[in-house]
Amino acid sequence: MTHDLEALRREVRSFLATEAPSGWRDASRTQDDFVRTQRDWFGKLVRAGYAIPHWPADYPGGGRSLAEQKVIYEELAGADCPRLLLSFVSTYHAFATLHECGNAGQKARYLPKILEGETWCQGFSEPGAGSDLAAIRTRAERKGDVYVINGQKVWSTMAQFADKCLLLARTSADGVKQAGITYLLMDMKAPGVTIRPIHQIQGDEEFAEIFLDNVEIPVSERVGEEGKGWAVAQATLASERGLTLMELSYRMRGALGRVAGLIREHGHSEDRGVLRDFGVLVTQVDAVCAIADQFLDNRIKGIEHMGDASIVKNAYSRALRAYSAFGLRLGGMDEQYVAPITFGDLNTGNWMADFMNSYAWTIAGGSEEVQRNIIAERMLDMPREPKGWVL
Amino acid sequence: MGAVIALDELTDAAQKAFPAEELSPSRDESWQLAAKMGWLMVRLPEEDGGLGFTREASTALHLEMGRVLAAMPLIPAQLGLQAIAASEDFAERANWLERLAGGEYAPLPMLSAKLTQASDGTVSGMISGVFEGDMAVAVVAELPGGYALVPLEAPGVSLVERAIWDPSRRLFDLVLDGFAPALMLTDAAGAKPLHDRLSGEAQLALAADCLGAAGAALDMTIEYMKVRRQFDRPIALFQALKHRAADMKTRIVVAEALLWKRARDESASITELAAAKVLAAEAFRFVTEEMVQLHGGIGLTDEHPCHLFLKRALLNLQLCGNADLWNECLGRAALAK
Repeated sequence: MTHDLEALRREVRSFLATEAPSGWRDASRTQDDFVRTQRDWFGKLVRAGYAIPHWPADYPGGGRSLAEQKVIYEELAGADCPRLLLSFVSTYHAFATLHECGNAGQKARYLPKILEGETWCQGFSEPGAGSDLAAIRTRAERKGDVYVINGQKVWSTMAQFADKCLLLARTSADGVKQAGITYLLMDMKAPGVTIRPIHQIQGDEEFAEIFLDNVEIPVSERVGEEGKGWAVAQATLASERGLTLMELSYRMRGALGRVAGLIREHGHSEDRGVLRDFGVLVTQVDAVCAIADQFLDNRIKGIEHMGDASIVKNAYSRALRAYSAFGLRLGGMDEQYVAPITFGDLNTGNWMADFMNSYAWTIAGGSEEVQRNIIAERMLDMPREPKGWVL
Repeated sequence: MGAVIALDELTDAAQKAFPAEELSPSRDESWQLAAKMGWLMVRLPEEDGGLGFTREASTALHLEMGRVLAAMPLIPAQLGLQAIAASEDFAERANWLERLAGGEYAPLPMLSAKLTQASDGTVSGMISGVFEGDMAVAVVAELPGGYALVPLEAPGVSLVERAIWDPSRRLFDLVLDGFAPALMLTDAAGAKPLHDRLSGEAQLALAADCLGAAGAALDMTIEYMKVRRQFDRPIALFQALKHRAADMKTRIVVAEALLWKRARDESASITELAAAKVLAAEAFRFVTEEMVQLHGGIGLTDEHPCHLFLKRALLNLQLCGNADLWNECLGRAALAK
C-alpha cells in the first residue's frame, strides 16, 4: 500500500516535472487570462488522469483511494501548480450531487461533459439566506412539465463562467423551512437568467449574483423528489472533506518563504521582535498542516467526529489571516500602493490583496461563527439555542 | 504495531490508576504507584531492564499526568534516568540505573544554572529548577566539565526550597559551594549532544503535560457552564460563551496535532520540538485564563481548583526555555531556510 503510494508519488512528480505550468501567476492578471489558464490546466490534468481521482473507476483517472488523492494533492501543492478553482464546483459539488442523488439519465448527460470542460456553479445562498441557508425564498412553481423560477441568488462562485447551476428553490412555504426546498439543475443560458459579477474589495470578481426572472426548468432536471432538496444539498456540501484545506495549508507553508524574503528586504533580520512574531507564525502554520493532515489520515482510516472539519477550517482561516496580516505589517507603506493582483491564489505576495482575500475563508463555506457553534454544540455537547426568538 | 497497542494500554492503565476526579493526588503515593507500574523506565532501553518504549509512549503518559496535575516529578525523573542511560562510559551506570528503576530519584533540573569552576576543579554556584528536590538522592547536572551526578549528601551541596505559586509542585535550588564532581556522565565535549537529546525530550514531555491539563481544564469548564444558571438558563446556552469554549477546544486540538506529529518525527530538531511545547503551553495558558473568567467569582477562590490549572500553566511556560526564547529561535531558523 505504502509502496503503491510512493509509486504514484513518483509518477505524479515526473508528470509535473515537465508539465507543471510556470509563470501562471503572470498569466492570471486578468479574469479572462485566469479562466484560460484554468481551462488549460484542467484539460491537461484530465488527460493525465489526475483531475478527478475521487470519481469512480468507470471514469478515466477515477477510482483513487483517499490516500492516493492526498498524494496527488500534496504533489500539486508542492509543485506550486494553479489550484483547480474554475472546475471545483463541477468536479466536487456537481459530481457528488449527481453521483449520489441524480438519476441514470442525469448522470449520463452531465458527468462526461464535466471532463470536457463544462463548468457548474452553485445557486444556494441568497441575500436573506447566508449562514441560515434553509431560509431561501427563490420560488419554483410547477406548471405542467416545467418549474418556473423567480428569485435571486448571491455569492455564486464564478457563476459568470458557468454553463450550469445547482439550484435550490422553494416549492412550498408550509411546514419547517427545510421541507419545502427542491433541488434543480439549471442551464445558465436559459431565458430569464441574468448574471452580475460582484466586485470584491481586493479587485477580484470571484463571485456573482444570479437574477432569475420566470426561468423555466424542465421537471426532468429535478434531483430527488420535490420538497426533498435539503437532503440532496447535504450531499453537495459534504462532497469535499479535507483535501482542499490540506492543500491550502501546505501552500501557505510553502509561501512562508515570501515572509522571510520580506523580513530580509526590509532589514528586519536581526529584529528580535519581528523574529519572534515570525516564529509564532511558522508554528501556527505548521500546526495547521498537522491538523489538516491528521483529519485526512483519520478519514483514510474511517474515523471522523462531528466538528473535526470545523476545527480544521477555523484553524486554517485564522492562520491565513495572521499570515497575510504579518506580511502587510512588514511591507509597511509599500503595500498601500496598488500593485497588480493575481487571480486564483491566496498567497500571492500582494499583501493587501491576500489580507482582504483571507476574509473569504472566515466567511464562506460556513462562517467562523457557524463553525464555532458546531464545535460547541456537537463536539462539546453544549445546549443548542432555542428555536425562534421573542421581541 | 506493538507500540500502538501498548500506547492505548498505557493510557488506559494511567487513567485507571489516576482517576480524573482526584486532582494533584499525593506525591509520595503516586511515585510509588508509578515505580510499581514501571513508568520510571518507559524510555529506558530493554537491554538495560527498561520498557524501551517510543517517545509516543512517554507523551501519552505525560498527557495523563498533566490531566490530573500530578504532583510527582515523572518528567524530571525520566530525563535524569535517560541522561544516565545515555552515558555509556559512566562506570557506575548499571548500578545507578538499577537504583533509579527501583524508585530512587535523580532529577534533571528544568531551569538554567549559574556555575563557575575553580582551578582545583571544584564547582560553585546555583542550579535552579530542581523539582521535588527533597526526595532526590542526586541531581543530574550540566557542570562546566560535562554532565555529572551531584549526590545530595556530597560535601559542598545543599538544597534550598523556593516557594512557588503553583501548589501542585515543589521547586528547589541546588547550591554548590566548592563541590568536587566525582560521578561524571560525560566530558565537556559530550555535554552538548546529551543536552540536545534531553532538551528535545523535555519539550515533548512538557507539551504533553500542558495539553493533558488543558483538556481537563476545558472539561471542567464545560461541565460548570452546563450547571451554572443565570437569567433562567445555563450559561452554556449563551453564544458568546459557547464561542469561547469552541476556541479553547480548537487551540487544544491543533496543539495536540502538532505534538503527535513531532513526537513521531525522529528527525525533528530541538527547535521544532520546542515549537510543540510553546504552542501547547500557550494553549494551556489561554485555556486556563478563560477557565477562571468563565467560572466567575468561584474561580477566584482557593477552594476551587481553577487556580491550580492557571498556576501550573504559567509555571510550565517558563520551564526549559520560555516562549520568547524559542519563538526567536524558530524565526531565525525559518529565516535561514
